[in-house]
Amino acid sequence: MADAFPQALAGPSSKERRYDRQLRLWAASGQQSLEDSRVLLVNSDGPWGKQSTGVTGVVGVETLKNLVLPGIGGFTIVDPAIVTEPDLGLNFFLEEESLGKSRAEETCRLLRELNPDVAGSSHAKPIAEIVKEDPGFVSRHQLVLISGPIQRSSLDMLCTAAKDNGIPVLYTRSVGFTSTFSLQLPGVFPIVETHPDPETTQDLRLLNPWPELDMAGARVMNLDSLDDHEHGHVPYILILLHYLDKWKRSHNGAVPSNYKEKTEFREMVRSGARTNNAEGGEENFDEAVAAVLKSLNPFSLRSSLREIFEMDECKNLRQDSAEFWIIAAAIHEFYKKDNLLPLPGSLPDMKAQSADYIALQNIYKTKARKDIEEVVGLVRSIEARLGPRPAEISEKDIEIFCKNASHVKVIHGRNIPQIDADARTTKIIKSNLTNSDSIIPLFLAFQILDDIVTDIQQGKIPDESLDDDVVWNTRIDRVIGVITSDNPAEIDEGARERIVQATQELRRTEGGELHNTSALTGGLVAQEALKVITRQYVPLDNTCIFDGVRSRSEMFKL
Amino acid sequence: MLKIWSMKQKQQQAENAEGADGKKKKKVTAAQLRVQRDLQELTLGSTMKMTFPNPDDILNFTLTIEPDEGMYKGGAFAFSFTVNQNFPHDPPKVKCTQKIYHPNIDMEGNVCLNILREDWKPVLNLNAVIVGMQFLFLEPNASDPLNKEAADDLRTNREAFKRNVRTSMAGGTVRGVQFDKVLR
Amino acid sequence: MASADPATRWKYLYKALSKPGPFSDEDWVPGSETISALESSKVLVIGAGGLGCDILKNLALSGFKDIHVIDMDTIDISNLNRQFLFRQADIGKPKAEVAAAFVEKRVKGVKITPYVGKIQDKDEDYYMQFKLIVCGLDSIEARRWINSTLIGMVDFENPESLKPLIDGGTEGFKGQARVILPTLSSCIECQLDMHAPRPAVPLCTIATIPRQPQHCIEWAHQIAWQEKRKDEPFDSDDMEHIGWVYQTALERAKQFNISGVTFQMAQGVVKNIIPAIASTNAVIAAATTSEALKIATSCNPYLENYMMYAGEDGVYTYTFEAEKKADCPVCGNLARKMTVDPDMTLEAYIETLGERPEAQLKKPSMRTEEKTLYQRFPPQLEEQTRPNLQRKLRELVQDGQEIAVSDPAYVIDFRYRLIFS
Repeated sequence: MADAFPQALAGPSSKERRYDRQLRLWAASGQQSLEDSRVLLVNSDGPWGKQSTGVTGVVGVETLKNLVLPGIGGFTIVDPAIVTEPDLGLNFFLEEESLGKSRAEETCRLLRELNPDVAGSSHAKPIAEIVKEDPGFVSRHQLVLISGPIQRSSLDMLCTAAKDNGIPVLYTRSVGFTSTFSLQLPGVFPIVETHPDPETTQDLRLLNPWPELDMAGARVMNLDSLDDHEHGHVPYILILLHYLDKWKRSHNGAVPSNYKEKTEFREMVRSGARTNNAEGGEENFDEAVAAVLKSLNPFSLRSSLREIFEMDECKNLRQDSAEFWIIAAAIHEFYKKDNLLPLPGSLPDMKAQSADYIALQNIYKTKARKDIEEVVGLVRSIEARLGPRPAEISEKDIEIFCKNASHVKVIHGRNIPQIDADARTTKIIKSNLTNSDSIIPLFLAFQILDDIVTDIQQGKIPDESLDDDVVWNTRIDRVIGVITSDNPAEIDEGARERIVQATQELRRTEGGELHNTSALTGGLVAQEALKVITRQYVPLDNTCIFDGVRSRSEMFKL
Repeated sequence: MLKIWSMKQKQQQAENAEGADGKKKKKVTAAQLRVQRDLQELTLGSTMKMTFPNPDDILNFTLTIEPDEGMYKGGAFAFSFTVNQNFPHDPPKVKCTQKIYHPNIDMEGNVCLNILREDWKPVLNLNAVIVGMQFLFLEPNASDPLNKEAADDLRTNREAFKRNVRTSMAGGTVRGVQFDKVLR
Repeated sequence: MASADPATRWKYLYKALSKPGPFSDEDWVPGSETISALESSKVLVIGAGGLGCDILKNLALSGFKDIHVIDMDTIDISNLNRQFLFRQADIGKPKAEVAAAFVEKRVKGVKITPYVGKIQDKDEDYYMQFKLIVCGLDSIEARRWINSTLIGMVDFENPESLKPLIDGGTEGFKGQARVILPTLSSCIECQLDMHAPRPAVPLCTIATIPRQPQHCIEWAHQIAWQEKRKDEPFDSDDMEHIGWVYQTALERAKQFNISGVTFQMAQGVVKNIIPAIASTNAVIAAATTSEALKIATSCNPYLENYMMYAGEDGVYTYTFEAEKKADCPVCGNLARKMTVDPDMTLEAYIETLGERPEAQLKKPSMRTEEKTLYQRFPPQLEEQTRPNLQRKLRELVQDGQEIAVSDPAYVIDFRYRLIFS
C-alpha cells in the first residue's frame, strides 16, 4: 500500500488530520500561535466562610476543555479548593476518586487526557500567595482566565500584573442560569486577519482601473463583432469596463455616480445582452447587470482604518514600535499617494472561458503584487529611518496586512469593568438600565454578588449573608446610589425591580453554578480566548452577559 | 404560555399511548408526498413517456423523450430519475441511460441542465425539470457543453453536426466513438 | 463506598429546582416532585459527535438519569479536536458506544443506552418512550426525518405523545439552537429555507471551462472518476481515493494554468467538510441542554423558539420566534383520523372522499408509505394502479395506517389515518 502511494501523495500528517476542522478556520499560523501559548486559570480564591469551598469553578474548567482540545501549548490551574460532593454533581473533569483531593490537581489531570500534546500544571494555593513567592508567575502566561466571584484585591492584583506584562484577561462569573464575562486587552490590540465576509472586501477598481486593466477592457471594444460563443463568455468585469467607457464618452468623461444614473447604466448593460439564443439571454451579462449597484462605488476608506491612520501609534513611530504600526504607517503613506489601499488582488468567479479568466486574474494578482512591493519599499525606508530593530519585518507579514488592509482593526483595551471605577462605565450602565429589554441588570447583580463574597471572604459579614434579604437589599440600594449619584430621578421603579429580579435569579443557587450555563459560558469564553491568542477574527469589546432564563445575550462596552 | 405537560400528571405508560396494533406503520414521507403531487401536476406531451419499474416506488422512474421536431426527431431518449428523501431540498438526479451524441450530455449520461444543479430551488417541480430536458433536444446548447466535441461541431458546422446526430442515433460511429442506437 | 446523599452532590441543581425564580411560572411547584420528574425523564440524544458528546455530558450533569443515544458513525481522527469523549485509541469504534460508556463511568448514577445505527431503524414505539429529544446532527435529511416522525406521533387526546425536539447545529464560529413542539410551534420543515443549499457550480463549467481550483477537484471527483474508475465506488474516507482525486485535479489545474489545488481543499470539496471547533459546539450543545432542563422541570421559561449565535465578531446572539407555516408540508397538514369500512373498495372510498364534507376531494391521488394506492397521472402509473380501485381497503391498507392524498383542486396535501369500522 505504502509503495503504491508515493510520499508526496500520502496527504496530511496525523496532526493536520487531527486539527483539520479548525485549520480551515485559522490556518497553520493561527494554530502556531495557539501552540505557543500558555493559559493561566485562576479557578477559585479560597473558601466563602466556613461552609463553602468557594467558587465551584466549572466555567473555568469548561473553558480550558475548549482550549486543550484545539491544542493550546499549555495551561496552569490555580485553585486552592479541595474536591467535595457538590463538585461531583457539577464538574465533568472530576471523578469519584477525586473526592478530598486538590481540585487543581484533579481537574488538571483529567483535562490533560483530552490532548497528549498539551502541557498542564496545577497549584493548590491561593493566587495571592503564589505571586508573593514568585512575582514572575503571571508573566509566564499569554492569557489569564479568572473564575469569579473573586476577592476584589486578588482581581485587581491579577489585572494589574497582566496589564503590566501585556497579557489579556478574561474575568468570568457563572451563577444559576446566568453568566457574564469581560475581556481586558492590554493597551491597543490590533488585528490584521479579521476574516470579514469576502463580499465586503471585494475591490475591483472598475471606476479607476490601472493601465493594465484598462487595456484588458479595451480589448473587448469590438463586443458587437464577437461571435455568439465569445460574446457569451466575456468576463463581466470587462463588459462593465466596456460600457463604462461608452457611458463616459456620452457623459463628458464622468462615471455613473448616483442611483438614477447607475440604474440607467444598468439598463444600458442589460440591453447589450444577446437574446436570440436558446436561453433568451446571456449569463455573463446577467452577472454584469447584477454587479452594477454594488461594484460601481468610488473607493472610500472605512472609518475604522481612518482612525488607525490618525492614531498616535501610527503617526509617531518609535524605534520599538510594534510591526503592526510600521506597516500601518507604510500603508498610510501608500494611501496618501492616490487615495487607494493596496489592491487585495482577489477576483470572484465569473462566467468566462478558462484562459480569459486566468488572464484577468493575473492582471489583478500582478497589480496586487506590485502594490505589496511598493509597501515593502515604504516599510524598509521607515525601518531605515527608525534605526536598528531586532529583525526586519517579514514580507509575508506585509503581504498579509496588504491583503487585509481595508478591514484591519484596533481595539482599545479597557479594564475589567467595576461600577465604581470609571464614570464612563457607570454612564453606559445607567443608559441601558432605562431600556426594559436590556439584560444589564444582571451585570449589577453580579457586581453585588462580588461585593458580598469579598466581604464574606474578608470576614466582614457572616457566611449566611449570601442568602440574606437585608444584605442584598442594602447593596442593591448602594449600587443604585452609585449609578444615580448625579441625578437620582433617572432610575425609575421598573429599573429597580429589574435589578431585584436579576439578584433573585442569582440567589436561587446561592452563588452556585449550573452545569449547562457554565458549559455554554465556557464555550463563549474559550471562543474569545482563541480569537485573542490567534489574533484572528474580532474579540469581544468588552463585556458579554448571558441570560439563560430567556436564552439570549448582550454585549456592552463597559 | 403552553404547559407541555403537567408535572403532577402520572407518567403514562408509553405502550398504552397509541393504538392497539403493536407495530406502528410508517408515514408517507415528505419527499413521497411531494412527488405524488408533482406527478399529478405534470403536463406530458405526446413526446414523453414515463415508466415506473415498481409502481409503488414513485421516487425512481424512467422518462423517455421522443422529439417530434428538431435535429433529434425520430429518436427515443431514456433518462433515469432518482429522487432522494431530501427532495425537494435536493434536486432529482437525472441520467441518460444511453450513450448519445449531444453537446449537453456526456458519455457517462451526465446532463448539464442548470435547474438540476446550481439553479435548483425547492419551489421548482418535476414538470420544470421535464420541460428543461425536452428543451435540450429542441435547442442543444453549444456554448456551455459537457461534450466539447459535439459542441464544437454544432458551433462551427451545423450541417455536419446534424449529420453526426443522425449517424449516432442510428448506432453509428462519430469521431471514433460508437453511440447507442436510439431510433424509434 | 457509601453512597452520598443526592441532595449534597446535586446541591446547586436541587436549589434551582426547589426555589421559584422571578421568571418561573406562577403555577410551578418547586421541590421534590419536580426533582423526581426530572430524574425519571427518559431522554434521547440523536448524534454522538461534536454536539452529541457535549450534550451527553451536560444532560448527565443536569440530573437526567436515563439517557439514550443514537449514532451510526465510527470515530475518526479528525473528530478528536472537539469530540472530547474520544481518544486516539478509540479511532474506528462506534461513537455511540464509546461516548455512552465514558459518561456513564464518569457520572455515577446515570444510565446511558447506546444504539449504533440509523434513526430510521427505529419506529414510533421507540420514540414514544422518551420525554424529549435532543438533536445534534449535521444532516438536514435526518433532521427532517425525525421532525416529521415526531409530528406524526402527536395524538391530541394524549399529551404524552408530544415530544419536544431540541435541535442544535454549528458551522465554524456560528450555530443555532431551537425548540420545536411538534404540531404546536414552527418545525424544521417550516424553517427549511434557513438552511442555505450548498452552492453548486454548473456541470458544464466543471467539464469544459474550469476557472477555480475547486472546479478541477469537482471534475476529478465527478467526471474523471466515473470515466477511469467506474467500477469502484468512491469512498471519501479512503485516503487513496482522495489522493487520486487530488492528483487528478492537480494535473487538470496545471493544464488550465489554475493554481491553488491542495490536498486539504480536495478533501474539503469532496467530503463537503464544514469547519468545526470545540468552543462553538460547547455553546450550542449547552444551549440545547439548558432548554432540555427547563422543559423537563418547568423551572424557567423555555426558548421560544430559535437562538442563533455568531462568534466571528464579538459575541452575537439573536433570539426570535420562527413562524409556523400554515402551508408547511409536514406540520401544516396533520393526519386526521377517518373511520372507514374496510370492505369498501378503493373506488368507493375515493367516491366518498368527494362527498365527505371534511374532504371534498374530487380527483385525488393517494398512497401509503409503501404502496401507491391510486395515481391519476401520468397515464402509465394510472394504468398500473387502476386495478387497486376494485380491491377492498383491507387488502391495501392496515387498520390505523396513514394515507396521503393529493388533489389538484387544493394547494396542500392531506393525510388521513384510516380506522377500520
